[in-house]
Amino acid sequence: MADGPVNNLSGDVLLSAYRSSTCGCCKGWLEHLKAAGFRVADNVVEDLVAIKRTHRVPVDLSSCHTATVAGYVIEGHVPASAIRSLLRQRPAVAGLAVPGMPLGSPGMESALRGEAYTVFSFTGDGDVRSFQQFGA
Amino acid sequence: MARVHLNRRSFLTLAAGAMSATTGAVVLGRTGRPGGSRPLHAAETTIRSSVGGFLDLDLIAEETPASIPGGPAQVLTYNGLLPGPLLELNAGDAVRIRLLNRLDRTTNLHYHGLHVPPGGNADNVFLSVAPGATQIYEFTIPANHPAGTFYYHPHHHGTVADQVFGGLGGVLIVRGALDRIPEVQAAEEQVLFLKDLPTQANASPTGMGMGMGMGMGMMLGREGAVLTVNGQLNPALSIPAGGLLRLRIVNGSNARFWRLALEGHSLHLIATDGGAIEAPVELEELLLAPGQRAEVLVRGEQRGGRYRLLNLPYARGAGGMMGGMGRGMGMGRGMGMGMGMGRGRMGSGSEQQAPVPIATLNYVGSVTPLPLPERLLTVEPLPAPVRNRRFVLNHGMAPGMGMVFLINDRAYEHGRTDTSVLLGDTEDWDVVNTGVMDHPFHVHINPFQVISRNGTPEPYRAWKDVVLVPPGETVRIRTRFDDFAGRTVYHCHILDHEELGMMGTLQIEA
Repeated sequence: MADGPVNNLSGDVLLSAYRSSTCGCCKGWLEHLKAAGFRVADNVVEDLVAIKRTHRVPVDLSSCHTATVAGYVIEGHVPASAIRSLLRQRPAVAGLAVPGMPLGSPGMESALRGEAYTVFSFTGDGDVRSFQQFGA
Repeated sequence: MARVHLNRRSFLTLAAGAMSATTGAVVLGRTGRPGGSRPLHAAETTIRSSVGGFLDLDLIAEETPASIPGGPAQVLTYNGLLPGPLLELNAGDAVRIRLLNRLDRTTNLHYHGLHVPPGGNADNVFLSVAPGATQIYEFTIPANHPAGTFYYHPHHHGTVADQVFGGLGGVLIVRGALDRIPEVQAAEEQVLFLKDLPTQANASPTGMGMGMGMGMGMMLGREGAVLTVNGQLNPALSIPAGGLLRLRIVNGSNARFWRLALEGHSLHLIATDGGAIEAPVELEELLLAPGQRAEVLVRGEQRGGRYRLLNLPYARGAGGMMGGMGRGMGMGRGMGMGMGMGRGRMGSGSEQQAPVPIATLNYVGSVTPLPLPERLLTVEPLPAPVRNRRFVLNHGMAPGMGMVFLINDRAYEHGRTDTSVLLGDTEDWDVVNTGVMDHPFHVHINPFQVISRNGTPEPYRAWKDVVLVPPGETVRIRTRFDDFAGRTVYHCHILDHEELGMMGTLQIEA
């Protein structure tokens, strides 16, 4: 257990999220991050497409909200534990994404069903890889 | 006369060979290995026609190795077939089907579109057939039942979407007056069972994660990237120059909408879900939501050659999802966020961006030119309604439930009666979509007529049992609860949405 980076994994880390005003599951995801110790800046924006374009989120990986944390882009319902892994490992990627809105992911909880889903990493030049698997 | 016709057609079909798409089923080897097809089933088992007014057969639901290029290694089948055996009946026939469940999860059968009793061991979707168990279904097709193209598939709440997505389903034809119209009778006949399957990488027919991978799941409804017609990739269809080809088309998908166009030919619609319309309607393209059927005539008006049957891209309204999640932004297709971003893998994981050829029509021989029928059958208008009801479709995060799909703000609950009606009554139902995704609304047992969409009267009368309600629209349907008291359901036929709560119970009181 290295001490330095670990300290950055809790309340010190600021995550800036961009979402539309009406998105219920985006709020759910932010609550999940707060509960996991992240400090969250919640930005309600009109034009999410522009935000995604600015942060070069691959269209194929898009979801309903976009965030930045420690220089990485976080797209969609990425679990806090995956973000922690990202910050611990510091891979040479642009960010992580959970495309779509899988049931059972943070903010998409469902009492009826859960689905397996993959957290992908992506780079600025479009290299997409599986980062972690969750669920089912 | 109809009987002779039936037998002749069956004979011709069988004589054409086991792999002919005309049989409506591709033969899958039950013990075949992935990548190698090894047919075990004789062609005679793929069409089951009633004999002496009686149809009696076993349907075995099971997991079967498949050999569809690019498709999953395993699919769910009836009797080893995808689609299941083609059932061919006449109005008035008695049916006895023994369902054997060799799956590892509970199943049952729904006779989609048939007007038969909803209870007992007829079209009873509340029956549960456990793994290893057997259920006998028995009912009689009413003597006045319309001729048409119907669809049998599982309907057990909790497993229906997985099982339909996994491959289960088959076509049931009822023959009658439509088949005796001379021009229709003279047409060559072809069943097209439309089914999307997940790619091998994403496949696990019984698993919850099916169709995910890079993609989207139940929220928008799972689609597969492998587009099959009668269980085959790009099968050959044939038409004689000058002749007519009657296509009976069934959307057997969990969530995929099929938007069809045939190069060089119009489609002349002659029947919708519930049977004949009054006169052919010429279409350049045909949109079928899950569970919908259509019958069209194609004229062999070209001199020859090959023409592709195309599935065109269709956006099911997910574009508004990112902006309008949950509570009504009222965003429909092409509005708000812009489709480009919204329809990436937000859609399904297999979002289709360009036309895909799904079958090829070949000219073979020629016949004396056949005309289209001018008139078909009368579609009786229903009497004025005695009651009007409203059904509001949407989804959202519900306390304690998480993400649910709702009808009138309620998710499906077994045992609760949502709508109680009187046998013999005619009612108007306004089905309102206040969400951001398309919802095809299906009612069991009794067909309906679409009266209007957003107040605009429907251009022609037709019997339907699934109607597409796009975001922001109100569709008024009229139905009469005829002949059969009992308990049944209505629901969204994107079966993932049904599983997530978009279903209600309908109690028909005598």
